[in-house]
Amino acid sequence: MKLLVIEDDRATADYVANGLRQEGHVVDHVVDGREALGQAMSGGYDALVVDRMLPGLDGLSLVKALRAAKVTTPVIFLTTVGGVDDRIEGLQAGGDDYLVKPFAFGELSARIQALARRPAAAIQESVLTAGNLSMDLLRRKVTRAGQEIDLLPREFALLEHLLRRKGRVQTRTMLLEAVWDISFDPQTNVVETHISRLRAKIDKPFDKELIQTVRGAGYRVDG
Amino acid sequence: MGKPGRLTPLSRLLGSTPIRLAVGLIAVFATVNILSLGFAWLQLRSNVEKQIATNLDQQIAGFRMADDPGTLAARVDTEAMAVDPETRILVFVAPGGESFGNARVQMRGREIDLEEREGGRDLGDDGYRLRSVAMAQGLLVVGESLAPIRDMEETFLGLLVLSIIPTLLISLGAGVWMALASARRVGHVEATLEQLARGNLFARVADDGRDDDLSRIGAGIDRMAEAQGAAMSALRQVSTDIAHDLKTPIQRMSVLLSDLRARLAEGSAEAGIADQAVAEADHAASVFQSLLMIAQIEGGSAKSRFVCVDLAQVAATFAEIYTPAAEDSGYHLTLEPLPGGPVPVRGDKVLLGQLIANLIENALRHTPTGSRIVLGIARDSQDVVLTVSDDGPGIPAPERANVLRRLYRLEHSRTTPGNGLGLSLVQAVADLHDARLILRDNHPGLRVEVRFPVPGAKGVGIAGSFQKDDPPPTDRRQ
Repeated sequence: MKLLVIEDDRATADYVANGLRQEGHVVDHVVDGREALGQAMSGGYDALVVDRMLPGLDGLSLVKALRAAKVTTPVIFLTTVGGVDDRIEGLQAGGDDYLVKPFAFGELSARIQALARRPAAAIQESVLTAGNLSMDLLRRKVTRAGQEIDLLPREFALLEHLLRRKGRVQTRTMLLEAVWDISFDPQTNVVETHISRLRAKIDKPFDKELIQTVRGAGYRVDG
Repeated sequence: MGKPGRLTPLSRLLGSTPIRLAVGLIAVFATVNILSLGFAWLQLRSNVEKQIATNLDQQIAGFRMADDPGTLAARVDTEAMAVDPETRILVFVAPGGESFGNARVQMRGREIDLEEREGGRDLGDDGYRLRSVAMAQGLLVVGESLAPIRDMEETFLGLLVLSIIPTLLISLGAGVWMALASARRVGHVEATLEQLARGNLFARVADDGRDDDLSRIGAGIDRMAEAQGAAMSALRQVSTDIAHDLKTPIQRMSVLLSDLRARLAEGSAEAGIADQAVAEADHAASVFQSLLMIAQIEGGSAKSRFVCVDLAQVAATFAEIYTPAAEDSGYHLTLEPLPGGPVPVRGDKVLLGQLIANLIENALRHTPTGSRIVLGIARDSQDVVLTVSDDGPGIPAPERANVLRRLYRLEHSRTTPGNGLGLSLVQAVADLHDARLILRDNHPGLRVEVRFPVPGAKGVGIAGSFQKDDPPPTDRRQ
């Protein structure tokens, strides 16, 4: 992917850019908000990583300007400004996601992946599969190796979310946002427990594990 | 301390200074009036009485000459013809018992009973002052009507009524008028003080363009609030600035540590130390994050986003999120049966969720494994009540106020994780929602109650219709 990191803090910018390059992305870095505006409009990027406090033009105004100019490149704010209001402001300005510093690199990486791979048109599938597991969305039934598995509604939603994003890492906070609609990080390991309950039902009785733990990042279902 | 909000309008009015002054003045005026009229009345009355007594004496003296009953009877009859028995009585009772004059006299023991003469004129209704003298072997009875005294009584009563009642009504009316006129201003001052006491340092009495004692008191309150507000906001700004300024280096440190960690061999001792350092940096950042968040919530801007939120549904969601994690660590987390239907409160869904999450995590953190934690939503006549109760060690009564203070932790809980801001955040969120946070003894354990005002009850309006909770967004990020 081709990414633009707009960040005035040297240490953070290097860390983010290097990390993303190591994952195989092409990364450009800009310090000034005004400069970033021109580059984002002409550069053909797949996603923008935007700090909110920037010299020249602040991140919020930058994204508003881009959206006004009909630039739809996905934007993730990466900022120390992390209040409830700030997050809402960021999303209302046209940001697609909002990550508060300090952050785990895995979190940023997973969220950038999620942003950049929005499907062009939502194809409505009625059956999702992974390995020998299949999920019938219409009849709300899950079977693995011909064996029907009973899931609670929330377990079903959790598995559906992972299956729809097969092969991509979903972090704990991403799952909380998507499955429970919660935009803060509880201190107790609530997601881990829900995943382990789900695993006990869909993985434990079978030989191959479908839900993989990605160290320092989150979970992924492999096909 | 008085609670002005609890008074009825009538008792408020009666308790106002202008009314009290008016009533006091009326009392003084009435007393003076009654005393002076009463004195004049007694004086005049005794004069009239004296006059009547003199008249009677003269009457009797006029008849002293006659000592023959026949002569006396004839004189009495003759004189009585010219006298109206309504004003004056003149009777001679002859030795034989026969009455001459303008009335008849019956002796009832020593009492003299007057009766009308047959065919004669009527007697007066006001009674008489009678005097009887034994004369010419018979009894001479003369009497003067008391009508002048009665007339005077009526005059004085009329004077009293005419002078006191209008004064009373006029002064009371003026008092009520002044009370009502000042009640609005006094009420405004009271309401402002109430707001200031509740911590809204932006409340002001504001200048009403007059120059009197109430305006001066108002201006004084405003100056006090101004000074208080400036001190508070300076303090808040300093802590927000510190939190902000420290967050950036901590964030940089965290980045550098993560970078370092990535260069270390998996499983090495150095990697372990780096992991610990990352965790500590994250913890420091989360403390600052919480401090900033509390400051922002206290700022109150989130209020503009308030909608109707179904508290029962938020509670159910969080009970569901936490139940497996609680069970796995050996706790019993249960949700009390919810009242039927939605339980609306006006608020911010994210913050209400955070409040419930913090209360549950607080209970998980400060009770031993095996404890019961019960989450409940109930409605009583005044409030929507959210409760989180446990059967753990509880908090000693004197400590309960302290645990709501920022960064305060009970001594024995120093070693447990957490940053001491959980309950402060709960307090901030509760305040933002005009809810009361109450810590009680659960016998045993702690019972935390958050009492939200019912939307639609006095002062809490419902804007728009009830907002349905969105279904879990499954396709937000593809």
